[in-house]
Amino acid sequence: MAAFIIRRIFWTIPVLLLVIFMIFVMMRQIEGNPFRRTERAVPPAVQANLERKFNLDKPWYMQYLLYVKGVFTLDLGPSLTQTDRDVMDIVKEHFPRSVKLGVFAFMWAIIFGIPAGVIAALRPNTVYDYFLMFFSSIGFALPSFFVATLLIYYFANKLNVVPTNGWPLGFWDVDSRVILPSLALGLYPMAYFARLVRGTMLETMQQDYVRTARAKGLRWKNIVARHVFRNSLIPVVTATAPLFGLVITGTFVIEIIFSIPGIGRYFINSVSSRDYAVVMGITVLTSIVIILANLFVDIAYGFLDPRTRTSRT
Amino acid sequence: MAINPPEARTLQAPVPAPPLAESAGEPVQQSSLWRDAYRRYLRNKGAVAAGIVFTIILLYCFLIPGFWIIPGIWTTIFDIDPNQVNFAETYLPPSIEHPFGTDQFGRDLWTRVAKGGQLSITIGFAATFAILVIGIAYGSISGFIGGRLDNAMMRFLDALYGLPYLPFAILALAIIGTVNFWTMVIALTIASWFTAARIVRGQVITLKQNDYVRAAQAVGARWHRVLVRHLLPNTLGVLVIFVFLELPNVVLGEAFLSFIGLGINPPDASWGSLASEGREAYRTHPLDLWIPCLFIAALVLCANFIADGLRDALDPRTKET
Repeated sequence: MAAFIIRRIFWTIPVLLLVIFMIFVMMRQIEGNPFRRTERAVPPAVQANLERKFNLDKPWYMQYLLYVKGVFTLDLGPSLTQTDRDVMDIVKEHFPRSVKLGVFAFMWAIIFGIPAGVIAALRPNTVYDYFLMFFSSIGFALPSFFVATLLIYYFANKLNVVPTNGWPLGFWDVDSRVILPSLALGLYPMAYFARLVRGTMLETMQQDYVRTARAKGLRWKNIVARHVFRNSLIPVVTATAPLFGLVITGTFVIEIIFSIPGIGRYFINSVSSRDYAVVMGITVLTSIVIILANLFVDIAYGFLDPRTRTSRT
Repeated sequence: MAINPPEARTLQAPVPAPPLAESAGEPVQQSSLWRDAYRRYLRNKGAVAAGIVFTIILLYCFLIPGFWIIPGIWTTIFDIDPNQVNFAETYLPPSIEHPFGTDQFGRDLWTRVAKGGQLSITIGFAATFAILVIGIAYGSISGFIGGRLDNAMMRFLDALYGLPYLPFAILALAIIGTVNFWTMVIALTIASWFTAARIVRGQVITLKQNDYVRAAQAVGARWHRVLVRHLLPNTLGVLVIFVFLELPNVVLGEAFLSFIGLGINPPDASWGSLASEGREAYRTHPLDLWIPCLFIAALVLCANFIADGLRDALDPRTKET
């Protein structure tokens, strides 16, 4: 097991370097340089200073190495448009808000999605099953901006039970403003979990060990709880990493609709204001988050299912 | 769709009819994989209905003017320019003339939704196709060559699995600078091909162990012939399913990009940009948001049902109880 973990971590490092390199190359392709000599007369000394500050006077590979060093020392360089702030300051301020949004979305998904899947699997092809799977299909198909708009209109404007927008800014602050955005964002993972749990539970019930347990005369309730449900949760763990990516994507849209000052909204604003240091920093950061999430999921999978340790080098 | 190479078919021994006296009627019909699959698909009511709705959406989007104008029919009845502004007719309710009403500039939504659908669907299929091409190239090289290269290529994919496509799509759009059909396709492809590569690789590795591949190699077939003639055609079923699984993601991705204002430029529209426009006046004119969103939802649902039906039809072993 230790060897498996070490090997897996070892493989993460070159991938990380490669991904940063790809983003670095992409950023260099963008037309226009904020410090290009334009009609505004910039004294040559100032120009040279600017180029030195942003490492633009060095060859590209030195820029890359300096950037990698910055990533590992948590220093993503200064912002191009907000002169007194570093990219890391911006990330530190905005990222926790998006994390909170994602955590609440996943909570909805786990609280409602997994039980829905279990109920549907225990009563396949009944009214319950069809009803839940119908809702799960809808959760898949409706774009989140549509759901968000309807939620705002009916719950905030008409019924007036929750505010239309805004966000509790402190990481540990929670109030009613959290409900609608996280629900709109959590609908997709909810539908996903419901489908996944239903499918894997139905599959697990066909297994020989479940038949053996029934033949031994164990109670069906115990079989489901101990043998079926537990083994069905393994795919749920594996699905968490890609779902994580989808939820990050979702935060971009949800944060705009609900005016949440999170990292996704800041990213889109940075694209419009051509603050490429921030754009690059946030892209690198989200990639690292996903790569690490994959790492943890793989290791967790190794613990949950011992067969994978040997078959995967 | 020829799955078997022709020489393989000629080598097959003719199926002898069972020598039973009472079976003098129909000869035993030889059925191919695809014909069986077709029959199984037709038995799945949900998938058939989804296929019909999908076709209706396609027909609606592509037969409305601006794409094919059939002289005499479309030119006289439906020839409305989707970008034609008419300030005398803003926010009209649905009527015979404007089945979906008009928007804030008096543009006819019936044609705008159709035009937007053309764009959304063609971008969807084009990006799905691009994802498949990259996935096939990467996955088949990795799976076919195997060994260390496969290991390295797969570790790379493992780490990137689930990478959010949106930041990369936005980056790609920023690099290219202009937004048009092809830049949207590139943006939606750039960080979405990982799953396709995995699927193709898994298939190639499974198929590689089949006797017919070993036989082909034994008689001296070169690697590219084995790959192109024997392995890739047999992944076709999985790839067809993948198209319908990936299409919804791409259509939703395009809608997201258009919705946050990074998509197709106005006055042209896609379903995402129409929804974005419709959201602004949702309180007074909810239809402008509902219609494009329901089209997106219908397309996504149909594609999901079709993919389910195809999976059951092409691979009966995975059929759920």
